[in-house]
Amino acid sequence: MISYLGNSFIYISLVLTILFYINFLKKVIPSTTSSLKLIYFINLAPFGLLVYAFSISDFTLLNVVENSYVDDPIFYKVTSAWGSHEGSILLWVFLINLFGVFFLYKNQTVEIHKNILFISTLFILYVIVSSNPFTYVEANENVLGLGLNPILQHFLFVIHPPTLFLGYIGLIIPFVISAHMLVSKNFSEKLFKEMLIWSKISWFFLTGGIVLGSYWAYSELGWGGWWFWDPVENISLIPWLLNTALIHSLQVSIKSNQLKLWSLNLGLYCFIASVFGTFLVRSNLIVSVHSFATDPLRGLFLIIIIAYLLAMTVRLNIRSISNFNEDSFNLISRESFLLLNNIFFICSALVVFIGTVYPLFSEMILKTSVSVGAPYYNFAFNLLLAPLILFMAFAPQINWGKHEKKDEQIPFIIIFSLFVCLVSYYFSNNFYFALSVFITVPLFLKSILALKNNFNKNISFYSQWLAHLSIGFFIIAAVYTEQFDYEENLLFEKESSNEIKLQNNRTAIIKNIKDEKFQNYQRVSVDLLISDGQKEKELSPSKNIYQPSGQVTNEVSTTNNLFSQYYATISTIESNKVGINLVYKPFINLLWLSAIMLIFAILLSVVKKR
Amino acid sequence: MKISKIIYKLIIPFIIIHISVISFAGVNELSDYFKTIRCLVCEGQSIQESDTEFAINLKEQIQKKYNSGIPIKEINRELIKIYGEEISFDPPKNHILLWGTPLIVLIIIFIFIRNKIRFFKRV
Amino acid sequence: MKRHLLLPVIGLVVLVVSVLFYSNQSNNKNNSRDEVSSLIFETSDFYNNKLINENTLGEFYIVNFFASWCKPCLAEHPLLMEMKKKGVKIIGINFRDDEENFKEWINEHGNPFEYILRDDGTIAYEMGLIGVPETFFIVNKIIQKKIQGPLFYEDIENYL
Repeated sequence: MISYLGNSFIYISLVLTILFYINFLKKVIPSTTSSLKLIYFINLAPFGLLVYAFSISDFTLLNVVENSYVDDPIFYKVTSAWGSHEGSILLWVFLINLFGVFFLYKNQTVEIHKNILFISTLFILYVIVSSNPFTYVEANENVLGLGLNPILQHFLFVIHPPTLFLGYIGLIIPFVISAHMLVSKNFSEKLFKEMLIWSKISWFFLTGGIVLGSYWAYSELGWGGWWFWDPVENISLIPWLLNTALIHSLQVSIKSNQLKLWSLNLGLYCFIASVFGTFLVRSNLIVSVHSFATDPLRGLFLIIIIAYLLAMTVRLNIRSISNFNEDSFNLISRESFLLLNNIFFICSALVVFIGTVYPLFSEMILKTSVSVGAPYYNFAFNLLLAPLILFMAFAPQINWGKHEKKDEQIPFIIIFSLFVCLVSYYFSNNFYFALSVFITVPLFLKSILALKNNFNKNISFYSQWLAHLSIGFFIIAAVYTEQFDYEENLLFEKESSNEIKLQNNRTAIIKNIKDEKFQNYQRVSVDLLISDGQKEKELSPSKNIYQPSGQVTNEVSTTNNLFSQYYATISTIESNKVGINLVYKPFINLLWLSAIMLIFAILLSVVKKR
Repeated sequence: MKISKIIYKLIIPFIIIHISVISFAGVNELSDYFKTIRCLVCEGQSIQESDTEFAINLKEQIQKKYNSGIPIKEINRELIKIYGEEISFDPPKNHILLWGTPLIVLIIIFIFIRNKIRFFKRV
Repeated sequence: MKRHLLLPVIGLVVLVVSVLFYSNQSNNKNNSRDEVSSLIFETSDFYNNKLINENTLGEFYIVNFFASWCKPCLAEHPLLMEMKKKGVKIIGINFRDDEENFKEWINEHGNPFEYILRDDGTIAYEMGLIGVPETFFIVNKIIQKKIQGPLFYEDIENYL
């Protein structure tokens, strides 16, 4: 039944879209807006249906059988809907149309909506050709479902993909607006402002999605790392970096009427980057921790979509490149610093892109397999972001157009931060930490001074101030936890004592080992006590054994020590010995806090427009 | 005149940072070094983050060599010889296309802007 | 005109310098070693405590890494037994194993190996082992083939 309904919704929407394109729909529904609404809502239906099928465990759908288990909690049943490849592509279609509907309330330009519908149709075709979740199987009393991958059974993982997808697909609005403006050559300020709002909304979700994914990896994968430069993480970072650049260059386009073509072309590439990201994940071209689709045909169809979008984009680029040199402005002006920001962000995005595809290139062309990981990215980001952060401290105080006044604080601030940097190098003996101190101290100083001078300024000042400040906190926290974390492998044996001495006069004591049974898994947990003489911290890492697959997952246990965290996982558990992996992550909470600050800042700037 | 001056002022510090970062980038501590070795049987993890027999053995062997006084650079060279370049997350620096890209891209964009946008025009 | 050229020239110079600077760093694109680690001939056999003499091994022999905790090793075990019957010399290397478990395993399933060495991981590292089981086919002292994971009949039929 659901299989039948879902398929018919997909085909009806396809037919309606074609009718709309050949202007036939007009004869039935005179208002374009309502016919657009109709198509959007019909496109929303299949995904809703799939979620419903999952929630009632309708085992007449192959997709439900493969990806859910009858005894899973209802929450995880629903979320299995996008755990599979088919479901996530349908979610992609759903979100494109959701953005279409919301955009329809703001702007009724038919050409723009035609573009949105076109892209949505491409993905609907993709669903039909190679990943239809509504495949029917004969219902069977004995079928209990094969279960959702237990490592995905985590609250964060459930909201992480849709959030990231909202971010990716939110970029479709800047994309279609840019394409429309470049084609029609109508550079109205109203459209630029709309573009800015939508790219900020997308930025909000992208940042949220990346942070959630990172927090999920930190709290679930059990390695104590929060960013792995894994291809899947990288491809979510590329649209983020480009979108950040876009938000900054759009300010120039709106406030001083410059860099218009620059922003529009950038707007095109943001969405291309996010489709490309989906392609890389789905086609399984780059094998990584997260990949779960294995069918190369799926990749082929996505390649066609990307190639098409890219061809259109390049055509628009070539058309506008001859007009690029209409812009001119002063060297010391807000515009030029925002341009500089753009250069750095676009370069960083390119670096991430090259690092991600280089192993592929090397294997195919150079015939050697290499792995590109943290050392490369750390190097490239040091190179690109260090000057960017330095500029970020001073740029917000520079005037638009022409900056006359010389900033007398600059030499003082630089000398001061150099001094702090040397002091921190003396105490920590760590180059990276000292470098991060050197680049962030001007930002902190300038932020404090700016707050004093601009006490009654509007919300947009505060959102920008908070966003920039949070980047500073992020850099410090990230470098500190990476440079000064340490790990200890504790091995408790039955015959010997249950106490182990750690560094800095701390001791770890094992209290007891529990074995519990839950709805769809069994849990073995170890209670651990860490004391440093005065304070005692409790940890209880565990191992979960899931039914029906029998897969074992490591559950992390953490305990906070102000901004720092103890992080424990069970490495081995046998009848006569228990191994615990204990990691101390200093300042890790400041990192999450700065991420929350950043998200709050962008929320502030979106909300103020209403 | 001025244009080139300004570009050099911006580019030269980068070259200096570029080279200094490359030379500083060597790791000294063993646990940091483990983070740069790929666990070949896991997907995308380093041996520091893995509990597979492969990773444990590699860690033990490297620890043994390190304790006997062999410098990390030497250990790394031997490791790459045995397991291939794939083992290291830190690709050899002779992959110029990879390591040079950040710099090349920066230069290209600066040239592009200088030619296409009359950015440095003083009014 | 000069201005236009200077920047690319600087970029090029930096590139060339860095190529020269780093070109002496490992240029070895050879992914696996082609000779057996000499450690195999320096470690004494578990049962008779003698060193293996490389010259008595003959033209063709096999080095097989195994462990009692490794389930896929059981899958290839009958094949190894069959090879022993056909006269192939197999050096078994017991990789990171408990001595008692290892003895029990051999007693239970049979011993297909001409020689057995016990390894704490050093030989495995030298040989570039990725996991157990892993099998090296050695012809004229050169590693000709390396099979990661359990052996199948197709892998060995050419050598029988």
